[in-house]
Amino acid sequence: MSQTLAPVRGTAGPPAGLSRVFTAAVRSEWIKLRTVRSTIWALVLTIVFTISLGAIFTAIEVSRWDTRSLSEVKGFDPLLYSFAGLNLAQLSIGVLGVLVMTSEYSTRTIKLTFGATPQRTLLLAAKVATFSAVVAAVGLASCFAAFWVGQALLAPKHAGLSIADPGVLRAVIGGAVHLVLIGAIAVALGAAIRRTAGAVAVLFAVLLVIPGLVTLLPAPWNDDITRYLPNSAGAAMSAVARFPNLLTPLGGLIVLCAYTAATLTLAAFALTRRDA
Amino acid sequence: MTIAGAGGQAGSCRGTRPVIEVRHLTKRYGPVLAVDDLSFTVAAGQVTGFLGPNGSGKSTTMRMIVGLDAPTAGQVTVDGRGYGQLRFPLRAVGALLDAGAVHPGRTARDHLAWLAASNEIPRARVDEVLGIVGLAGAARRRAGDLSLGMGQRLGIAAALLGDPPVLIFDEPINGLDPEGILWVRKLLQSLAAEGRTVLVSSHLMSEMALTADHLIIIGRGRLLATGTVAEFIERSEGHHVHAQSPDAGPLLALLRQQGATVTADGPEGLSVTGMESRDVGIIAARAGLTLYELTTQRASLEDAFMELTREHGEYRAATPTTAGIAA
Repeated sequence: MSQTLAPVRGTAGPPAGLSRVFTAAVRSEWIKLRTVRSTIWALVLTIVFTISLGAIFTAIEVSRWDTRSLSEVKGFDPLLYSFAGLNLAQLSIGVLGVLVMTSEYSTRTIKLTFGATPQRTLLLAAKVATFSAVVAAVGLASCFAAFWVGQALLAPKHAGLSIADPGVLRAVIGGAVHLVLIGAIAVALGAAIRRTAGAVAVLFAVLLVIPGLVTLLPAPWNDDITRYLPNSAGAAMSAVARFPNLLTPLGGLIVLCAYTAATLTLAAFALTRRDA
Repeated sequence: MTIAGAGGQAGSCRGTRPVIEVRHLTKRYGPVLAVDDLSFTVAAGQVTGFLGPNGSGKSTTMRMIVGLDAPTAGQVTVDGRGYGQLRFPLRAVGALLDAGAVHPGRTARDHLAWLAASNEIPRARVDEVLGIVGLAGAARRRAGDLSLGMGQRLGIAAALLGDPPVLIFDEPINGLDPEGILWVRKLLQSLAAEGRTVLVSSHLMSEMALTADHLIIIGRGRLLATGTVAEFIERSEGHHVHAQSPDAGPLLALLRQQGATVTADGPEGLSVTGMESRDVGIIAARAGLTLYELTTQRASLEDAFMELTREHGEYRAATPTTAGIAA
């Protein structure tokens, strides 16, 4: 049983640049993500829910097509119903993003992770990059599928959009970008808060509770504030029609990127300042 | 053998080049001073035992060596560099700090695979170390399903993964059966024989006496003693004579008269130092005092360790009767 090891090699081999450390950390994080079954299931369910909720809400709208009010008809965004599932998808992606960090603390593998990659900011970047790439793939698959299913249901009413119509490709990709940025924010929250329950609570407060409370404020405050909330900023990227409580797609992207940058900075600060 | 003075001077080590250097290391968690101006060095080619009672700061020190916790003051270097400066540190320093630090849903092989990938360690090395620790057959089992002992072996495999010249093990025999303990002992010694630097912590003096060549003993975060195991054994070779007598009172007075150091040990017991059991027996017989027990008790290494750390344990039982434990 007690085999002897190979003779001692020279310490650490050739000095590696930080880009090599980053690439290795990304490979490592990719293995971590795909070797836990719950991750795979959560991602599969995210795709399924995004597509099926979009289909259900589009079908409901089609079924009451001729009884809609004039204002409903005027403000109709054929993509809005296709992307109804994004509301749920951002939550499941958000919880997964939180777990990317907090599961390391709850299982204490964070000690091994930081022991293997003591460059903590670089490690956070590797985690965000890896998770974002996965979410981008899942998000694009979900959004394109939801788009095609929804528009196919609208086709009999001649209300469906083509991917070549103005703003449509941008909106479909925007839906995926929305998920990627919410995912990155969630990873950052997990790193800053460390506990799954706490980080998920903050995430849900930001995505669900605060938007609901803001709508209770008197006009014009409600719309003015809502525009700048993370989920509204994200929704602005995936809308084709213009809504009074949404920014422009570019405005939405900028606002959501700003939230992401701010939370990631906070996370990097927390990771480097605190003991593991 | 060096017993640290109040200044906490650096512990010496056998002539070889120091690899791990701990200098005036201090760690404070709020009001608790976990490590207090600790200085020592660890040399290559030998097993260095890091001993101390529970809560004496061993784990905290090890966490600071591998950069998990930042020192409040002082510094620690491995091969002259701080751990945080290392690129792919698993190839330089292998550490087992917490064998329970695994994702329960990941297989043993996948657990090692992500670690290997993070430091550009070839994938083939994963199965190699699983073989070394005797877990080849459990490679596909989930870490959460492994027994305590198998989990410990997986932690050791993770430390060996980068084939590092420096190895740090925090209480590696926890949860192992006797065969496993023997295996760890041989493994540590063979790693040291290959020229590696091996630092292993324990709260068991007896285990360290069998495993280590050199000892660093701490209590309450401070250095208490350093030296070779041989020196420590030599120092602890004191003994005393235990006597039981219904006439304990008069016998105590008589023995003191004859120059022995005597203390009462129970209602009828006496603990005698500075006199052989033969002389105690003769003196009692001549005075007509009854003896119903007369034994020479050699102090064990554990006793010497206890004596050294008595004032330094964080938690102690209400009545620390060391003789009872040693017997």
